[in-house]
Amino acid sequence: MLSSKHFFLLPALLTLIAIILFPLLFTIRVSFSSWDVFQSGLDFIGGKNYGRVFEDERFWQSLGRLSLLSLISVSLQYTLGFALALSVWKQVRGGRFLRVIFLIPMMTTPVVMSVIWRTVFHESLGPANDILSMFGIGAVPWLSSATGAFISVLIVEVWQWTPFMFLLLLAGLVSLPREPYLAAAIDGASTWRTFWQVTFPLMAPITIGALIIRLIEASKIMDTVYVLTSGGPGTATETSSYYIYIRGLRDFQIGYSAALSLVYLVIMIVSLTVIAKLLLRILVGKVG
Amino acid sequence: MNKFYHTLKTLFLFGWSLFVVFPFLWALTTSFKDANAITSGATYIPWVDYEPSTQGWTSLFTTGSQGINIVGPFIDSASVTLIASVLSLALGTLAAYGLSRFEYRLGFVKNGDITFFFISQRIMPPIVLAIPFFLMLKEIGALDTIFGLVIVYIALLLPIAVWVMTDFFAGIPKELDEMAMTDGCSPIGAFFRVILPNSVPGLVVAGMFCLIFGWNDFFFAFTLTFTETQLLPVSIVSLNSSVTPWWSLSAFALISVAPLACVAVIVERYMSRGTMSGAIR
Amino acid sequence: MFQVEQLTTSDPKVSLQDVSFRCEAGNIYTILGSTGAGKTELLRALMGLNPLVDGDIQLDGKSLTARPVKDRSMSLVYQQFINYPHLSVLDNVAFPLRRQGKNKAEAQSLATEMLATVGLSDFLQRRPAQLSGGQQQRVALARAMVKKSRILMLDEPLANLDYKLREQLREEFPRLVAGNDNSVILYTTTEPREAMELGNTTIVMSDGRIIASGPPADLFAHPPNQSTASVISDPPISFISGHVRNDALYFSEDQLAPSDGLQLPADGPVTVALRPDAIEPGGDFDATIGLSEFSGSETIVHLDFEFGRAIMLVEGIENFAVGDSLSVSISAEHIMLFAPDGRNITTRIK
Repeated sequence: MLSSKHFFLLPALLTLIAIILFPLLFTIRVSFSSWDVFQSGLDFIGGKNYGRVFEDERFWQSLGRLSLLSLISVSLQYTLGFALALSVWKQVRGGRFLRVIFLIPMMTTPVVMSVIWRTVFHESLGPANDILSMFGIGAVPWLSSATGAFISVLIVEVWQWTPFMFLLLLAGLVSLPREPYLAAAIDGASTWRTFWQVTFPLMAPITIGALIIRLIEASKIMDTVYVLTSGGPGTATETSSYYIYIRGLRDFQIGYSAALSLVYLVIMIVSLTVIAKLLLRILVGKVG
Repeated sequence: MNKFYHTLKTLFLFGWSLFVVFPFLWALTTSFKDANAITSGATYIPWVDYEPSTQGWTSLFTTGSQGINIVGPFIDSASVTLIASVLSLALGTLAAYGLSRFEYRLGFVKNGDITFFFISQRIMPPIVLAIPFFLMLKEIGALDTIFGLVIVYIALLLPIAVWVMTDFFAGIPKELDEMAMTDGCSPIGAFFRVILPNSVPGLVVAGMFCLIFGWNDFFFAFTLTFTETQLLPVSIVSLNSSVTPWWSLSAFALISVAPLACVAVIVERYMSRGTMSGAIR
Repeated sequence: MFQVEQLTTSDPKVSLQDVSFRCEAGNIYTILGSTGAGKTELLRALMGLNPLVDGDIQLDGKSLTARPVKDRSMSLVYQQFINYPHLSVLDNVAFPLRRQGKNKAEAQSLATEMLATVGLSDFLQRRPAQLSGGQQQRVALARAMVKKSRILMLDEPLANLDYKLREQLREEFPRLVAGNDNSVILYTTTEPREAMELGNTTIVMSDGRIIASGPPADLFAHPPNQSTASVISDPPISFISGHVRNDALYFSEDQLAPSDGLQLPADGPVTVALRPDAIEPGGDFDATIGLSEFSGSETIVHLDFEFGRAIMLVEGIENFAVGDSLSVSISAEHIMLFAPDGRNITTRIK
């Protein structure tokens, strides 16, 4: 017996399930096989792929690399985004113009910008090293050394996604109530103290939301790595997504990459849920 | 506010603005270079450091073996993004409204679980579904078509629309719906006549995110299209890996990102009105 | 004729229990009760917004319970100012008429007339957000009345307005709703004064049930039970646990209570209710002053007696210091007696 409430939910729900059901089920089934595209049927090899996942050093290293990259980049994005939001929150000269400028990076296509960044970080023809040399600093192996590559990816990520934090945090700041600030002003609190005692606690819910959303998106990082460093040099910037891509679409070990994908998915869901709960406890606990 | 903070703030804003704008400026200058301008190292100012040329730009609009076609990919990207965004926004808004106003139950699955189901789709890295999607589209003959990509993009963008709009609808009092029904609207009528007109800020934000994530996708377009349908991100990556000069690449890149940069202007206008603060949370 | 029978709902906050009453068109019925008594729940159940566990709602003999919200010929004015934010004041009031099928011109003309009645002719093109609270409620009222529904319901419509505005709108209210001869008007409130002023009939609710109904003056003079007495009085009635012994009324073990003119029940416990005007300064009962507050042109004094607490109402503004002793008289004329089960057993003998 269909009523109007079904009219609202069912189209979206059924559409989504229809689109992802087969892929999901297929991935699960193929993870128990050793399919490599060239065979005509799907065999069954039990949990062999999963066993291999757990012994796969390269996978676990990629996971570590990914965690490090995500945590550092999201923290930087948050800090910078917050600082930016605070700076343009009250009336600033050219505030509107600045706000537009600050938003633009997040609207751009990561692969497209990475193509540009690649030319920027070019070690002999690019401006990065050229400008550094103007300050007397020697050429940095941006894309040819492990640390350099890691930092390049970090820079691009921070450039690209800080605006997201900026947007969310500014929207939050704009809707804060005035009373606590009046009280703080009456109490003669300094700018620093006002921030920590009033602004930061009031922004706790938005902080959590923003961090979680960015962590979810950051964990999927692929496009930038693909273009900027191709996971290299060597495996220096190989994130889990990239590694799974290699196994699946380059080596055509479909079965194995499916197993990798599912293990990765479970790890992601679990850790993100844990982080979300932790953040909730830390930030909300501190506030109230 | 004292002098110290003020100077710090100005320096910070100036520095960050420079950082933000730099890649664009670099791409702009580079797009006007030719082989001579590059060989001896980085150059910056036209006519001073090098002789500008329009090679980079004209090559984009010539088809054939010498040219790089940007018009085709641009149209394909626009089509896929717009169609998928509109559909996702429509379906997602309806679902979000339902979840915020009605109680659903299927066994032990309740509203909160359904919302979580939608939103958790974003956790899935593209790689997990890329190959199965490939096989699925192959089966229905939708590989390398706009239709096929739209289907896949809907799965990507629908969760975003649901995410934003669920939050937004939570902020509209249910009494408004009730008033509409008292005044003669059916529940569906109440939504279309009263709630929807008052949802513009939320729709703008949700629509913006849909456009962004749709236009900027690379991986699915990369796996699921080849020759018939070419999206901008895929085009530029294949140009990058073949021997394409920097000036063409830079021009191509600038045109690719221009449309959404305009969206930034529109979004800022909404932001400064404060009307978005209810929508983003 | 509007009839409600044995309405029962199940709600985590307040559930309606067996609510029944009958209303005639052309009358204003005030529904009086404290917060949590079930007034809002009752209106929402009548509208069809909250589901019923049991009971029936009938209009002119036909049952409404199966009909959707929009087909019940009802209007509701909320306590919060609810208007359509995206429409002008004129379109706000025209909205229900358009839903009825009237064309734009006709709807706007009727809406304009109604808005003139509520005094908002100068604001037709404004948006509700640009109006003050009182004006927003007038818009809501105009919209509720314009479609001439059979049942017009108002849920504490003046509660969110400031004092002066509330008084003003309360005075205007009868004029505003005049001409609704075909409608039943249900008006909920927590203020006894409002119930008295506005309604021909008052329905008193407590804990999801109706505990009394009738002309407000009657209910005030002779509340049928203790709960009603405590709801309908402002300032509140004080209740003392007393008893009857040997044909005499006592406040406590041996403190005699005035009982001239009262027929006393048989020996046993009894609740003695003191109206605020039962007590006057100067008399045989000793008390300490607990609290003293001004209310309009009167003074309300909380007194601590040996046998309990009571409230005294004094004309004029008098200064009473907290902690002082005061001797007061208590007049049996303003005393009521209630049996242990809550029934009013006050009987006066000539």
